[in-house]
Amino acid sequence: MNTEVLQNLVAGFDHEAYGSQAVFRTALNALSHPGRALDLPLNTALPRQGHAAAAALLLGLVDSDTALWLSPGLASSDAATWLRFHTGCTWVSDPSEAHFIWVAQGDALPELQSLRQGTDAYPDQSATCVIEVQSLHSEVTETGGWTLQGPGILGQCKLQVQGLPADFSKQWARNHASFPCGVDVFLATAAHIVGLPRTTRLFTSEEA
Amino acid sequence: MFQAYDHAESSSKTERQKWMALLARAPQPMLDLALTAHAEVQPQWLRRPETGLMMVQGRAGGTGERFNLGEVTVTRCALRLAQAADDAPVGVAYVLGRNHRQAHMAAVADALLQDPAQRADLEVTLLAPVRRHLLHQQAQRHARAQTTKVDFLTVAREAGDGEEGETS
Repeated sequence: MNTEVLQNLVAGFDHEAYGSQAVFRTALNALSHPGRALDLPLNTALPRQGHAAAAALLLGLVDSDTALWLSPGLASSDAATWLRFHTGCTWVSDPSEAHFIWVAQGDALPELQSLRQGTDAYPDQSATCVIEVQSLHSEVTETGGWTLQGPGILGQCKLQVQGLPADFSKQWARNHASFPCGVDVFLATAAHIVGLPRTTRLFTSEEA
Repeated sequence: MFQAYDHAESSSKTERQKWMALLARAPQPMLDLALTAHAEVQPQWLRRPETGLMMVQGRAGGTGERFNLGEVTVTRCALRLAQAADDAPVGVAYVLGRNHRQAHMAAVADALLQDPAQRADLEVTLLAPVRRHLLHQQAQRHARAQTTKVDFLTVAREAGDGEEGETS
């Protein structure tokens, strides 16, 4: 990394162990309770690009053994340098090789089926997507939201997301069908995250 | 350990690479002496000093196949000076060993040297003494090695003389 790249670099977690543990705990909670919007503790300095929650989540999850793919909006930004400096992760230009995918708001989401799916013997080797969205609401009154069912959800729960591609629920149905393979997704706004593990079934309001 | 770095085509290195190579070998007392103003101030840490292992690779004669020579303990850190702006230069240091303080002060020096206004000053108070110290150290090591040197040419000549003596 040369001088120009380091120019806009900011610090990582205020306390590396506590900060990343708090993030990891929240990530586990999010995957244990799919569809629940959780506050992500932001005990870190943040790059200018990217949603704060997505950046902090990846800072906690990524390490030097993981390959990261960034959507075009992030690939040449401070956020990319910042993650690499603090975690030592490697960048890959092909999303199908990545362990973690970070998609900025407004950038196209790569087809979920094109990402690393894991194998029947090692389903844990699949990709984890962090997708930035405009808004997340667990309490939905108007139409157009999703109904979620699956492990970790008592009965069913509602989720309204703005900022995902129109065919996301179709892609998700295929992703769910390939269980035990398939990707896990985190949706992130500026302060909240929602976990969508591959076990979750997702119905649009028309289907429900 | 930095032989190739110091002697071969060192003109192709940037100024910063040159002073970072010096700072990496500067003993902590010399750094402390030159940077007394920054000794007690906590900088803005980007990466606190951390100690780890690095694999050193070598080539026989500098040209042979690469091989792993062994691991060395390295301490590194990155910082911005206290009261520096958000886009101020970042000081980075990698030093051998586990001395966190040495890495800290070397990074402070690196950050200061990137400011053209301070460079001339530090060149005199820090870099020149370090350069002298390293040259002195190298000369001492050289002298110590010289005492065990065997001149094989001389041995051969003596043997030759002996043979000549026998034949005559």
